[in-house]
Amino acid sequence: MRARILLLLSLAPVAAFPQNAPALMSRGLDVYNKSCATGYCHGVKGTPGGAPRLAARGFDDAYISQTVRNGIPGTGMPAFGATLDRADLLAVIAYVDSLNGVTPPPNPFAMQPEPRKLPPDAQHGRQLFAEQVRGFQRCSTCHRVDGIGIAVALPFSSVPENVAALRALATPQVETATAQGDSFPVLPLNKVGPQVKLYDLKTLPPVERSFAKGEVTFKEGSNWRHEAMLAGYTDQDLDAILAFLRAVVKP
Amino acid sequence: MKKRFLLPLFALLSAILTAPARAQDGATTANWPSYGGTDFAWRYSALDQINTSNVKKLVPVWQFQTGDYTQGLQSTPIVIDGVLYLSTTHSQVFALDAVTGKMLWQYKYPMPRGAGGNIQNRGLAVGGGKVYVGTYDDYVVAIDQKTGAEAWKVAIADSSQCGCSITSAPLLVKDKVVVGIAGGDSAFRGFITAMDAKTGRLAWRFYTIPAPGEKGNETWKGDSWKYGGGATWMTGSFDPALNLVYWGTGNAASDMYAGDRYSGEGEGANLYTGSVVALDADTGKLKWYYQEIPKDVWDYDSAYECLLIDRQVRGVLRKLLVHINKSGYAWVLDRTNGEFLGAYPIVDNHTWLTGMTEDGKILGRIEPVEDKPTLICPGPDGGKSWNQVAYSPRTGLMYTPTLEICSDSVAREQTPVEGRGFLGGTWSHRGPANGPAYSHIDAYDPVTGKRVWSMRYKYALLASMLTTAGDLVFTGDPEGNFFALDARTGQKLWSFQTGAGHRGSAISYSVNGRQFIATPTGWGSIAGRALTSIWPEAENFRLGSTLMVFALPEDTK
Repeated sequence: MRARILLLLSLAPVAAFPQNAPALMSRGLDVYNKSCATGYCHGVKGTPGGAPRLAARGFDDAYISQTVRNGIPGTGMPAFGATLDRADLLAVIAYVDSLNGVTPPPNPFAMQPEPRKLPPDAQHGRQLFAEQVRGFQRCSTCHRVDGIGIAVALPFSSVPENVAALRALATPQVETATAQGDSFPVLPLNKVGPQVKLYDLKTLPPVERSFAKGEVTFKEGSNWRHEAMLAGYTDQDLDAILAFLRAVVKP
Repeated sequence: MKKRFLLPLFALLSAILTAPARAQDGATTANWPSYGGTDFAWRYSALDQINTSNVKKLVPVWQFQTGDYTQGLQSTPIVIDGVLYLSTTHSQVFALDAVTGKMLWQYKYPMPRGAGGNIQNRGLAVGGGKVYVGTYDDYVVAIDQKTGAEAWKVAIADSSQCGCSITSAPLLVKDKVVVGIAGGDSAFRGFITAMDAKTGRLAWRFYTIPAPGEKGNETWKGDSWKYGGGATWMTGSFDPALNLVYWGTGNAASDMYAGDRYSGEGEGANLYTGSVVALDADTGKLKWYYQEIPKDVWDYDSAYECLLIDRQVRGVLRKLLVHINKSGYAWVLDRTNGEFLGAYPIVDNHTWLTGMTEDGKILGRIEPVEDKPTLICPGPDGGKSWNQVAYSPRTGLMYTPTLEICSDSVAREQTPVEGRGFLGGTWSHRGPANGPAYSHIDAYDPVTGKRVWSMRYKYALLASMLTTAGDLVFTGDPEGNFFALDARTGQKLWSFQTGAGHRGSAISYSVNGRQFIATPTGWGSIAGRALTSIWPEAENFRLGSTLMVFALPEDTK
């Protein structure tokens, strides 16, 4: 038996998903046309395009499902498990199944766990956390959580109580480095060498820099302030961001 | 429709060209210091030890296998003072003795696990004691030129969000390293970023799509500017006398459906996509722009190289920028102010327009529609791919690799999701209406568009051109042949089977008076695979990632 079937036992069907085979196939076709059948990749109805032919290749459901979800490292085949929502993912797998004569399971949506869904304010906070139009003046320039952002700071271990606490957050880990006649705020990564490594916080985005031992000296404290980084966010924005962090950070 | 000259008067007047002045501005000599040879992007070497009379004696002298072969080798090596620097698709960097191929150091970028997609890296910048390389996950890395140790690295975008990646070589401009970014087929907003070369600190960023309140934003409907494309996925050029950095900007997104982004307001459409932009090298401020493809619905991607030459136009010596995009046309601009001086087709098949006015406006656009496939030439692969032209000041000719590949295209309205695919349509590859797809190498007068010679080839040519003062043109084909043509006649003078298809950019350099020709070999890439739908036998073009280096035998003088 396929592993997917085993999950059936514990899960209930979800009403929002198409419940019958034609609806499933039509959704799968739609996702396929948008995500797979583009000129750089697979062709219409599984014909060869930039990527190999998919129709009548003798693929089984397990292979198709695995490949669609995880991609093929080192090739142009991306991991759609990371980008397609669950319903689209299962529909497109069913569609590619059909191109290979595999009858899709009667209701594949019932066999998959429902992914975590954020409440609306947390979802809004997630968007603000990484909002592209803010340039580098956004949380995700230094923080990575829930699959987005650049991990400059350590992972969140707790979430500040309120907006005032978030703005006033103390950052004793930020020090002042002096190197090559220049003093600047840094987040040290490795102070003992032989290669000293630090994040230079003088400008955004932070730069990971390496120095020979003895080329750089450190002093506790800095003029760097978390509050300055948050200047572009309103209190309302930060409330939503805190709701997002509360939803995803596990203390 | 198939007129060679859109501007007959212009062509006639500029036919009375004299020999180009300041001929050596864009020439390399012993070193190959920059991605395009020099920052003028000529891909021309002034070395002439290897020439039309002795090229048939050329032999391989060393080769270097990088081991990073799954996506081919698209790089341009850099050579400085007898050391050759080479990057591979996964942003590994090698420093090699340019005479023997002996490895001096290796830098292995820690590519994130599971990194898939269209991983590419097309080259490096070297200078000031550092080697600069971009990565698939949007880091720019500075490496110590002597030791290969990492000096700094910085993420210029969040690859888990933006659907973008750095595939092109950085350009070193005075004390800054300037980098473009790929991602214009995703819901993404393009930019060019400059960092302090010593510290990696941000110096400036230019967004190719203006934000609300900035001039040009009115050419976008609603919020479409946020995800409007305009990727900067190839390397630009730099003119130190004008202190201007030139960069091509890619297609607007979604690629094939403009209904949600075209506002119909302002000058141009969907600025500054499909354009050449000239930026102040110190501040990144826009000095001028020229939009070649307003309201792009063909993925015509003006992101390619900017060839900087000084030539007579209508009897006046002018500073020019010659620029080709995927549309199969070449534009001739005044690079001091962006003035349009002319445009000419470089492909035989160009059905997307019926002509162009004397001031460069496109007439009779044929656009993809939603309900049925439309034959469009060139297709989204382009009348030329990113592989670059070369220009010889000796012959005064520009050498172009050109594709005659068309498409049956269908537009489709699509809602953008940040960082995800945003093509707004689909297409299949095909040949022109009257026969199979093919490609050719041509020699053009770059000002008038007069074609001096042409060599036809049955598959797609996807390697760059190199030309030398030995009056030779070098390039490779997907079947593995690396060959030399007479730059004046196009006659094939020498050919060598390297064992794997060509997708990179050859260079020339010399050490202790001996001239070398180096070429990357190794098929791969998304465009390479796309060819199988036209030529099934393209499945068999061989992958690889090897640098092959040729010279005359030591006793040849």
